[in-house]
Amino acid sequence: MSEDDVRAALKTVQDPEAGMSVLDLGLVYGIALEPGKVRVDMTMTSPACPASEYIVDEAAAAIRAVAPEGTEVEVRLVWEPPWSPERMSEDAQQRFGWK
Amino acid sequence: MEVSPRFRVPLLALGFVSLAFGIAGGLARLSSFEVAETAIALHGPLMVSAFFGTVISLERAVAIDRLWAYAAPLAAGMGGIAFLSGFVAAGFLLVILAAAVFVGCGVVVVQRQPSLETATLLAGAAAWLAGNVMLFEGRAAVPWWIAFFALTIGGERLELSRYLKRAPWVRRAFAVLVGLLVLSPMVPRALGVVLLLLAVWLVAFDLARVTIRQDRLPRYVAACLLAGYFWLGIAGALIALATGYDAALHAFFVGFVFSMVFGHAPVILPAVLRVRFPYHPVLYLPLALLHASLAVRVLVSMPLGAWGNAAAIVLFVLVSLSLVTMFDHRQSGGAASR
Repeated sequence: MSEDDVRAALKTVQDPEAGMSVLDLGLVYGIALEPGKVRVDMTMTSPACPASEYIVDEAAAAIRAVAPEGTEVEVRLVWEPPWSPERMSEDAQQRFGWK
Repeated sequence: MEVSPRFRVPLLALGFVSLAFGIAGGLARLSSFEVAETAIALHGPLMVSAFFGTVISLERAVAIDRLWAYAAPLAAGMGGIAFLSGFVAAGFLLVILAAAVFVGCGVVVVQRQPSLETATLLAGAAAWLAGNVMLFEGRAAVPWWIAFFALTIGGERLELSRYLKRAPWVRRAFAVLVGLLVLSPMVPRALGVVLLLLAVWLVAFDLARVTIRQDRLPRYVAACLLAGYFWLGIAGALIALATGYDAALHAFFVGFVFSMVFGHAPVILPAVLRVRFPYHPVLYLPLALLHASLAVRVLVSMPLGAWGNAAAIVLFVLVSLSLVTMFDHRQSGGAASR
């Protein structure tokens, strides 16, 4: 399983209100691959967002769906550094008026 | 510590008891049908502190993931039960306790990420606490409750609108509005002006301006938000003019706050209860009824409009339950397990 596979999986996980993927929105901070294990660090725009836990679980489920059986998938919610708009993809930046 | 969604259901159900009796109490003020005296007298506290207080503090407890935070929805929900059982003073104290715990949640959020957004949410929590203390003391609670919702919803919208490019002054303008919202409940007419300005800010700068051009759920949520901002402006204008008490309050609580609830239920319920809430265009039906009946309430007939408001809320609950259970039947398993 490659980092691109993980990215493709995360592309299917949406922020329900923005209507864009967590990957495009720049909420994914890091992807680490080890044999038999995938670890993703991601954030939310708001530490008061009740959907955080749900989106984290959705991300883990999306990765599990494409990962070889038995792969350990860990998605961690981190608050440092705080999210900023420069993290968004070209597509997202265009949609939201940054470009 | 994660509290199982199974334990969140009874908390939400407690809030819905207050919703049901709060609505019945409000309608009983306009028509002749039997309902507990306290449901009539305490329509406002039941709706604001017992129902919304339970729902909003439950959401926040899920967000911060601390066991003690669940004391807020528990106390708010029990406060509603105390009101309905005739233990009014105990109910007042319970909703004060709920708001105090909710302030604690706000402090955790600020510590996690100090920002204008999180400070606004904390100010909203403090306004709820102030309103509940006023209620206990027999003073005017409503302006503080209005500030509670305006700050809580405003803070959340500011947070989401960070996706959008905006000039630096836009954020500074919001900060000024937050300061005014904290102070103005002491002068209700001034509060009206601030609400009007907040409505203008939200219409001009909210993410909904962009997402209304998308489709499906993002568009539906945006429609709920933009319709809500319209009523927020109307409420602000009426409060500033000190006219149309029923119209002003219900433009705010039904037109603005319930419209937010209609919009966010499909986003929040899956997070809180771990159920699937698939989008379906039928969601526009209760939304249209809510706003049309509110227009009737404000412009034509208060009782007729009030019944329409209640029907819209009941219809929304039924539509939501249908969508959630239909999905459960089609595809068991729900959200991903960890």
